[in-house]
Amino acid sequence: MATTDGDSATASQRLDKDTREKLVTAVRHTILLTWSFIVLFPLYWLASMSLKPPGTANSLPPDWIFLPTVYNYIQLLQNSGFVGAFANSLIMVSASVVLVLLIGVPAAYVLSRYDIPMERDVLVWILSSRMLPPIAVVLPFFIIFRELNLFDTRIGMVLMYVSINLSLVVWVMKAFFDGIPETLEEAARVDGATQFQGFRKVVLPAAKPGIFSVAIISFIFAWIELLFGLVLTSFEAVPVTLFVYSFIGSRSIEWGMLAAASTAMIIPVVVFLIAVNKYLAAGLSFGVVIKE
Amino acid sequence: MSTPTQTETTSKSTFARLRDLWNDYLPYWFMAPMVAVMVMITFFPGAYDLYLSLIAEPTLDVFAADFVGLSNFETAFTRGGAIHSFVITITVVVSALLLETVLGFVLAALVAGVGSDRTKSFYRVLFIIPMAVAPVSLATIGRIMLNSEIGIIPYVINTGTPFAAPNFLSEVPLLTVILLDAWNWTPFMFIIFYAGLSSVPKTLIEASRVDGAPMWRRYVHVIIPYMKPVVFVATLIRLIDLFRTFGVVYGLTGGGPGTATQLVSINIYEQMFINNQITVAAAIAIVYLVLVVALCNVIIAKVGFEGVWD
Repeated sequence: MATTDGDSATASQRLDKDTREKLVTAVRHTILLTWSFIVLFPLYWLASMSLKPPGTANSLPPDWIFLPTVYNYIQLLQNSGFVGAFANSLIMVSASVVLVLLIGVPAAYVLSRYDIPMERDVLVWILSSRMLPPIAVVLPFFIIFRELNLFDTRIGMVLMYVSINLSLVVWVMKAFFDGIPETLEEAARVDGATQFQGFRKVVLPAAKPGIFSVAIISFIFAWIELLFGLVLTSFEAVPVTLFVYSFIGSRSIEWGMLAAASTAMIIPVVVFLIAVNKYLAAGLSFGVVIKE
Repeated sequence: MSTPTQTETTSKSTFARLRDLWNDYLPYWFMAPMVAVMVMITFFPGAYDLYLSLIAEPTLDVFAADFVGLSNFETAFTRGGAIHSFVITITVVVSALLLETVLGFVLAALVAGVGSDRTKSFYRVLFIIPMAVAPVSLATIGRIMLNSEIGIIPYVINTGTPFAAPNFLSEVPLLTVILLDAWNWTPFMFIIFYAGLSSVPKTLIEASRVDGAPMWRRYVHVIIPYMKPVVFVATLIRLIDLFRTFGVVYGLTGGGPGTATQLVSINIYEQMFINNQITVAAAIAIVYLVLVVALCNVIIAKVGFEGVWD
């Protein structure tokens, strides 16, 4: 039987615990809200700058309240350089994603289902393609592309984008295939399907979320790439990142248009990121973290 | 039983033979394109960098090439500023990696502890957004917000606090680069750590809670050891990608002022296109490539993917 003394002790302990928990929660949310502000403020600033009337974009003290205008975006749409570069990036990056999936997904399937000799070494070799600094890779390709007439072509850029993402696709898809039970294909084989049919009709549909997320993450990594465009293009195949850079480089910077161009580059990627946010950890960790 | 005509037999057997060839050697067909591309992007650049670094003038004709031994390396490491750029690169990589790992883990732990599921997913989605910003756009944001004349951040520091704002791009350029990279890529660590934390079995946490261990000890002795493979993979991938840094520095400072933020990648680029010394650039490139690949492979061999593959 508990004494009155004991009862009051537990009560005060409980009270103590309650206040402590409240304090912990308060600190937690203070930190998280501060970080939210750090995340959002630069993006808000960029977007608001792109919507300010010309001439007021960088006035200090800042115009916190202003009448938004799409003037900068209209200017941007009339700039054939920007429109061309944006279209270029969309075409080249999308093509590279299709190509890297065609090359990487079947290979990942084999790595997942067959006993490959020295499988670990093969996987580390594949990963090592990501370790090569792009500047060291692009230098030989700069010379070879000139010989092969691939310099400043979309095809050349597509190949370089494939090189960034192939290791990612193989690793992530191998992990996803590992998670799909082999009994599924075996059942299909019993029904008379060939191995290829089993892969195409049974395994691929089951791996859809993996393919979707790795496609989007590959898209992002290629979309944000600057160096390959800088070294391997001059006019025809200029990607949007290089166009934005040329804006920064010009002597008299048009801040409003620069902000608009950057915002236009960021928005589609934000949408993509949110679309795959559930599988983002799996994709970004090269398939090591699959479950959340 | 009907006998097929001669032509039917041949065409059918040709098709069947092709199909058999496809099905019997399926793993080879599936692997071949990947292996071909991998050979092209791993062995070829290294070999070609090495070749270029040993000759006087870039030429495709190996027999006409004028081999000059290590003189390109000598130029790179005496007058080329290679050593300085290696020091800068290591400073940026190590500081940014530490900052992003710690920040990412703290944020992940804080979000994982939020009570309501809706608030949790709100923070989780919000915190990944900086990854959408391309390095060159990040450089744009940096130039807009940190500019000592028109930037909002120096303005707020100067008018709202008793301190005078430093010129972020010329006085503390290295710190600025590190902080911008941390803004950009802490989300990468956050999202992987968050997933890792969510996979820690509830029973494990409950058991440690019964022991009455304080929160920090639960993390140090139970949760972090359990998450070791996740922490290893996240930091390894981030390390690899940090060595690839180029766009943010190129757009923000162009390696300057002077050579204050001249990463190895910027140095190689300048040797190539500003000094027009492709062979010196190749000498730095091959050293950089070998060091990065060796470092990463040593880390993988030492720490290993234990708990990741088994």
